[in-house]
Amino acid sequence: MKKHLKLSDIPKHNIHRVPDGYFDRLPRRIMERTAMQEEVAGIPAWLAHLSRPLRFAVAPLLLLFVFVGAYLFGTQQASQQMDFSIAALTNTEIMDYLDLYAQVETSDMEEFVDLNQNLTAEFLNVSPSAAEEELYYYQLDDLDY
Amino acid sequence: MEDKEILDKFDQPESRNLAFNQLVRKYQQKVYWHIRKMVIDHDDTDDLTQEVFLKVWKNLENFRRDAQLYTWIYRIATNECLSFLSGKKRRFFLPLHDITAELTEKLTSSPDIAGDEIQLKLQKAILRLPDKQRLVFNMKYFDELKYEEMSEILGTSVGALKASYHIAVKKIEEYLQQD
Repeated sequence: MKKHLKLSDIPKHNIHRVPDGYFDRLPRRIMERTAMQEEVAGIPAWLAHLSRPLRFAVAPLLLLFVFVGAYLFGTQQASQQMDFSIAALTNTEIMDYLDLYAQVETSDMEEFVDLNQNLTAEFLNVSPSAAEEELYYYQLDDLDY
Repeated sequence: MEDKEILDKFDQPESRNLAFNQLVRKYQQKVYWHIRKMVIDHDDTDDLTQEVFLKVWKNLENFRRDAQLYTWIYRIATNECLSFLSGKKRRFFLPLHDITAELTEKLTSSPDIAGDEIQLKLQKAILRLPDKQRLVFNMKYFDELKYEEMSEILGTSVGALKASYHIAVKKIEEYLQQD
């Protein structure tokens, strides 16, 4: 006849096991997490409400804003400085600079001629008749700017 | 160390960490085993145990001194277990028996389990109980808590807990008769 098995017949026994030294390590791990929580509590409330990946994304964004701000401020300062410097220069200094560093385009010449009609001959250092001969040779008189 | 001493130390900012460390050392095993019997898996238990103590850390300042620290921590651990299990069901749209099957599978395949055949059969029988009844059974049978303490932790009347435990024992003994 089959014996009726009762709960009281079974010895109480914990069948679950934990890794060696688990309970020695657990308090330290918990303390580390509480310390991390304290750090999170130290950051501004609006930032603390963001999820962790979003918080990491905010950092480079702020850095980008700082760089853009610094660049714009620097450009503005340089432009103001340049205006001042050009006003202080003499024509000879400007011409010397252009001779050395600037590449003058045809369009620049056109604008310059509009401002001062007598400058072309002076700039080219040729007589009007010689200039006309050159224009005839290259057929440049038909060109419109 | 007495709970009162730990709580008094916790109130002082300079000894706060030390007091909390002592609290964790005092209650870690009780919390761990309470959770482990419910979720079976060691890694899940490890995560939940840490969560429980983080909640204790956050809320200990607001803990009412007229209640027992032990039952308060136990209640947090119980709520974490129940939320974890119901979250698992919601996440995978599993009915009750599937969770039971999943936990039973963990019980039989895990290397962290060591017991003879009858012990394993008892554990399988316990896993067939609904979550709350399983909690009641574990707290009475394994942890040997008084019904009054259980009542404080679970917020259920002593009468209801007694009835729940006796029904659980009956169900388990019925299962143990099966081949």
